[in-house]
Amino acid sequence: MNAPASPRQLGAEIFQVTTGSSEPIYRQLIEQLRRLQAGGQIAEGDAMPSVRDVASELGVNPMTVSKAYSMLEAEGLLVRRRGLGMAVAAQASGNSDIESRLELLRPSLERIALEASQLELDAKSVITLLTSILKGK
Amino acid sequence: MQAQLNAPVQIQGLSKSFSGQSVLKNLDWQIAPGSIVGLLGRNGAGKSTLIECLLGLRDIDGGTTSLYGENTAQLSADTKAKIAYVPQRSDLFEWLTARQMLAYFQQLYPRWNEAKVQSLMQAWDLPFDKVINKLSIGQKQRLSIIRALAHEPELLILDEPVSSLDPAGRRDFLRELIDSVIDKQTTIVFSTHILSDLERVAMDVAFLHEGHIVHQQSLDDMMDNTVRVSAGYTVLQQLQPQKILRRFAQGDGRLLAQFSAEQLQALQSRTDVRIDKLSLEDIFIEMTR
Repeated sequence: MNAPASPRQLGAEIFQVTTGSSEPIYRQLIEQLRRLQAGGQIAEGDAMPSVRDVASELGVNPMTVSKAYSMLEAEGLLVRRRGLGMAVAAQASGNSDIESRLELLRPSLERIALEASQLELDAKSVITLLTSILKGK
Repeated sequence: MQAQLNAPVQIQGLSKSFSGQSVLKNLDWQIAPGSIVGLLGRNGAGKSTLIECLLGLRDIDGGTTSLYGENTAQLSADTKAKIAYVPQRSDLFEWLTARQMLAYFQQLYPRWNEAKVQSLMQAWDLPFDKVINKLSIGQKQRLSIIRALAHEPELLILDEPVSSLDPAGRRDFLRELIDSVIDKQTTIVFSTHILSDLERVAMDVAFLHEGHIVHQQSLDDMMDNTVRVSAGYTVLQQLQPQKILRRFAQGDGRLLAQFSAEQLQALQSRTDVRIDKLSLEDIFIEMTR
């Protein structure tokens, strides 16, 4: 639906952090960027906000932001451009297929699977419930 | 623990008691240059006492405390100039105006960032010409932070720095800290009971409990690896965590422990063990129970 636009400069507001969760802040940042990419809200070549901007805007330690960026780079989601900072990597736009979006649900589904087994529920009844929830009933 | 010659903070065997009540017991602590350490402990655990002993503001009963390799009791002028301290409450210089107080401190330090003083006084809406004892507690605290940041310390020690600030004031303060870390690699030690602030800025956390630093670790690693395990007694005995943080009384069937990512995955698929990932607040409560 979105035509290939010219690369944008992304702002620090693409991220937000929640304190008091069991998820450390660097993981929250990584997860949010994966979601933006999978959902097509960011595209190849978009320039990431600088570590300093994100740290200052969110009021978090810059080391935390650069740790998230480095891990996203290692994952192939971001590329480091010499002298220009980080940008969204090439594969990003082609990667938002069903499998990769589905993969984002895995952690939540694994939690459900665990709770189901603790409650001694069989797979069939859990799936029935999930299906009816998905259908909005 | 490996002794580092020029560690900003190095404490060995520190003991301190008040009228027979032992507060710090043979405490060891070390802080690496450039780190931001949040010191956590319950009320009365001795966080302020530890900070005051560390700075040489209190006599100690035993052990050694040193800053940048120099005994705290005999710091050189050079080392003193590198250090800034924001006490929990300051009742000093009450009869001066902010302008007079800052001018006094400016003389004491070789370095002084007047532009920073001016911009923070304005940004934080502080009056230069009001007598300090007419300021609110929150204003005094902000003034004290400005005084500490003005001489661009290499080691900044803050005791509950934001306890009197509202959320917006706290966020302003965190931004200032962050800027100073980005620009100058300042080593920062702060005690706080406001965990959300600590989560935002700390790289490492240290827990003070029953007179010791019972645990110190990178905040991210601790959050990633620490879980509360609930299981039957024999099952708990068989687990092989990388580190046990707290073991609760036998029969209680709970353990606060750290496991590798692979171990955690294996544990999560077991039905005879319950694994809970914890927030910093939960970990704090379990650690200092």
